[in-house]
Amino acid sequence: MAGSSTVKAIEQDKIELVRAAIDAGALVRDVRAGQDGAIVTFDGFVRNESDGRLTSYLEYEAYESMALGKMKEIAAEIHEKFAIHRVAIVHRLGRLEIGETSVFIAVSAPHRGAAFDACRFAIDTLKRTVPIWKKEYFADGAVWADGELPPTPPSAKSAS
Amino acid sequence: MAGAVPSLRVKVLFFGRLRELTGLAEDDGELPQGATLAQVFERYAERYPKLAGFRNSMVVSRNQEFAAWDTRVAAGDEIAFLPPVSGG
Repeated sequence: MAGSSTVKAIEQDKIELVRAAIDAGALVRDVRAGQDGAIVTFDGFVRNESDGRLTSYLEYEAYESMALGKMKEIAAEIHEKFAIHRVAIVHRLGRLEIGETSVFIAVSAPHRGAAFDACRFAIDTLKRTVPIWKKEYFADGAVWADGELPPTPPSAKSAS
Repeated sequence: MAGAVPSLRVKVLFFGRLRELTGLAEDDGELPQGATLAQVFERYAERYPKLAGFRNSMVVSRNQEFAAWDTRVAAGDEIAFLPPVSGG
């Protein structure tokens, strides 16, 4: 069991939903410590087009309390699965312009392999399971982005 | 006959295109005892017929955990109807 070391690590994680610009440099400094040898980051930012249409800007909304809970579950899961040290997962909400960071993840670890694997797992899982939605605005209208349906538990009948 | 069947109160939330479609972000629902999440949805689909078409492209949560449609609700539950997620 990872036990108390995992609990301690989770206390040092930074899991947030924000409305202001994300300070990537500060998050990288947050996860960096003497015992680490590597930090892997993921910077997701607003692309200027969607399926060939020029994007004007995006708006993100979330089921905030549940989204934070799911982001914390992801952090806990990567602590269990990979030999990592600290995690930062920050997602921005509201209106974002082209090129602005919507999500930033930083993972520190003694060795690079675990940090790469954990960072990849974190962003892939976030995109599938965290209740956040993005609306894409174009010159001539807006659409909700195609998303993914989160996995749901089996029916209550089969569970009982 | 109002009051004859014991009822329970829940909070119901709508997000993304489902919120736009109903014009409703949050609602206080009153349901008969023993109602399932599917029945909660049907209640709103009667009020907002366009919702019905989204039944297979959404999930539901109960108290901030994804839940199966046949889960029974309890008094005070927070239920949310969630379109496919697109964060990141």
